Amino acid sequence: MTARAPRVPGPFDTIPDESATERPIVPPGRHALLGHLRASIVLVILGMLILGLGYPGVITAFAQEVTPLTANGSLVSYNGTVVGSNLIAQNLSAPWLFWERPSPVDYNSFNGSPTLLGYSDPALYNETKAYMQEYGPYAVNASVPEILVTVSGSGLDPDLTPEAALVQIPRIANVTGLSMAALQSLVNANIVPPLLGFIGPSYVDVLHLDLALEKILPAQYRSS
Amino acid sequence: MSNPLSLIGSYLDVSIVFALVLAFAPTFGAFMGRVFMNRPTFGEGVFGPVERGIYRLLGVNPRHSMRVREYAVAFLLSNAVLILWVFLLLMYQNQLPFLRTSGIPGMSWDLAFHSASSFGTNTDFTHFVTESQVTEGSLLLGLQVEMFLSAGAGLAILAAFIRGFVRKDGTIGNYFVDITRAVVRILVPVSVLGAIVYVLLGLPQTFATSVSFHTLLGPVQTIPLGPVASWQSIMLLGSNGGGIFAANSAHPFENPSALSDLFSIALMMLIPFSSPFAFASAVRRKGEAFPYIGTILIVFFIALALVIVGQLATNPQLSPIQALSQNTFYSAGQETRFTLPEGALFQTVSVYANVGANNMAIGALSPIGQMSMLFGMFTQSTPGGVGTGMGYLLTNTLIAIFVGGLMVGRTPEYLGKKIGRQQIGWSASLLLIHPVLIFVPLVATLLGGFAVLPTTGVGASAHTFTSVLYEFTSEAANNGSAMGSVYVNDTTLWFNVVGAVVMLVGRFFPMLAMLMISHHFAVQSPLPPGPGTLKTQSFTFMIYLTLFLIILTALLFLPAIALGPLTQIGAGG
Repeated sequence: MTARAPRVPGPFDTIPDESATERPIVPPGRHALLGHLRASIVLVILGMLILGLGYPGVITAFAQEVTPLTANGSLVSYNGTVVGSNLIAQNLSAPWLFWERPSPVDYNSFNGSPTLLGYSDPALYNETKAYMQEYGPYAVNASVPEILVTVSGSGLDPDLTPEAALVQIPRIANVTGLSMAALQSLVNANIVPPLLGFIGPSYVDVLHLDLALEKILPAQYRSS
Repeated sequence: MSNPLSLIGSYLDVSIVFALVLAFAPTFGAFMGRVFMNRPTFGEGVFGPVERGIYRLLGVNPRHSMRVREYAVAFLLSNAVLILWVFLLLMYQNQLPFLRTSGIPGMSWDLAFHSASSFGTNTDFTHFVTESQVTEGSLLLGLQVEMFLSAGAGLAILAAFIRGFVRKDGTIGNYFVDITRAVVRILVPVSVLGAIVYVLLGLPQTFATSVSFHTLLGPVQTIPLGPVASWQSIMLLGSNGGGIFAANSAHPFENPSALSDLFSIALMMLIPFSSPFAFASAVRRKGEAFPYIGTILIVFFIALALVIVGQLATNPQLSPIQALSQNTFYSAGQETRFTLPEGALFQTVSVYANVGANNMAIGALSPIGQMSMLFGMFTQSTPGGVGTGMGYLLTNTLIAIFVGGLMVGRTPEYLGKKIGRQQIGWSASLLLIHPVLIFVPLVATLLGGFAVLPTTGVGASAHTFTSVLYEFTSEAANNGSAMGSVYVNDTTLWFNVVGAVVMLVGRFFPMLAMLMISHHFAVQSPLPPGPGTLKTQSFTFMIYLTLFLIILTALLFLPAIALGPLTQIGAGG
């Protein structure tokens, strides 16, 4: 039995199992075309039942049993009511809160994904400047990280780099009267480090940060 | 940049994932080869009876092997029935008695034509916003079925192509057996495993379509839900790439963490990077995988390096802005939760394996990165889509051997089969239809005024030109990734109809050509290798094949690259 090929190929062997399982013992037949049509239609119907409904049905049953929280959108509750999803950005642009990255689709997935300006398009310069004007003046003695004033791929990015959160502290301190040090330790306490130290970046989930901030905000700024 | 150690460290996780998949590829490839060649495989006791049941329902005799004409008819008919069904489903999706999503109307005929063709040809280029234009019934009973069956059709055609090298009775297999085995033994088991992992990684998985709540500041936010984990699994495994959300794998529900990003990379790589080993196992020449995987890796690493280098550079356009700090690891279009290597490897694998999923905005990529993406869709074979990618690579190889044989005076033959006029004719037509399908619609679109380049600067117009070029390239290569431009509305009647035709021809003509090549090999009796046989299992041949592929592609497409990405670089991009 010479199943394994030698380094230099020898004369071509016949393939035993090719002939064993699949010899053309039947000629196409007179109604081959109708047969193919039937097979094609049944294939689609089977596909709908097994691949279209059965497969996601089984996985859904599994997910709802094992991970009901994430399977239903990773919703976050605050004081007993749902206020958002762990994974989806929302509009948090109140002067006393940490802001998300800008979203041309208004943090609404139903508006589609944002179409971004080209890398070499002069309009990108103007757009970035405009976002800078919105976010920038509050950044005292600091430079604004690009990530805070550019659009993400989804328009729904719920996270910021630690720097992009820290740069917003002077604004929040100015509006609310909270101390810079208190806000700084709040951000530092909410930094999610890379998984196992090397998978993913360090980041801050903005909604979580703001929910933590809510607890120390002066009463007039609290949402609930 | 400030900490070079963390810079190197951030490549660790992607390197481990890449190496693990490559280490597993020979094993999985050997399994695929056994599936292709109708040999018994792992799990025979389960798969065998299931398949026999399916053959019964289909009315197919699995022992009947088809000649090329019958195979092609079965293949085309099956795909036509599938695409027609989804076309009708999308047009009348609001009248389905169940699985409707309230408020979503039926699609216009041209959008339905584009969408049904797109998913049926394994392209998954979307001209719709899934969340607000596709009902749950269309997703599950239409598009998801197309995702499985189009990937299965790709594997079936590869199996039929490979049979040409091992058979001598003039038959190339049974299409319905091939697609059934591919779906039952490869796509479904891996999809189920992948979906379970995705569920554990925190992707939504529910039949509810949305959930609403009051945000922290008070207004109502509605977020879409759905069976995301199961969708994402087959979307990436089958090199489909059409997201259940418009933002695709940049959407936090499709790709919630760095870990899910790494898993997605592995899932996309699995079949395309195993295909050379599947071929080698099918023809029982283990060493034959070496030149192919080598060629794929060389081209792929060059492409990946270009994308990363492009993103690491600061954008000179934004440099004049006071107080803006350009972090080299993050720029516009990227998501915070992925590091640059995680984002770039995902994106490069996605385009090079013809998946077309996005985890960053390609429109915001550096011009050199865009060039790299375009190159992958021009070759379609490094490693290319499920099944078809290996088919394109074999076709390129046939031409390379033919040309090489002429240069050094050797008999043009491969695995004991003579490469004659017929095989070269079909191979050449298969390769030449690709630029035709890209450039004819591109020129017609620009001359006809269906896309107007902006006059606000060379950078803007070159970027818009690139995005139209990208659109037709993506459709012709059945890739499905989109670059997008704010100046072009590609959801018009023109783009829908022309795009659909480009996708259909770009998919089915090359596949028929592969079947014809296979036929002309399958009627030959294999010859024993003589002194004139070119040794393909060598380092020299691998380098030759790589250079051949790069030069051939560059010759065909350099003018387009010059007008698009290179002009953007020249404009200071």
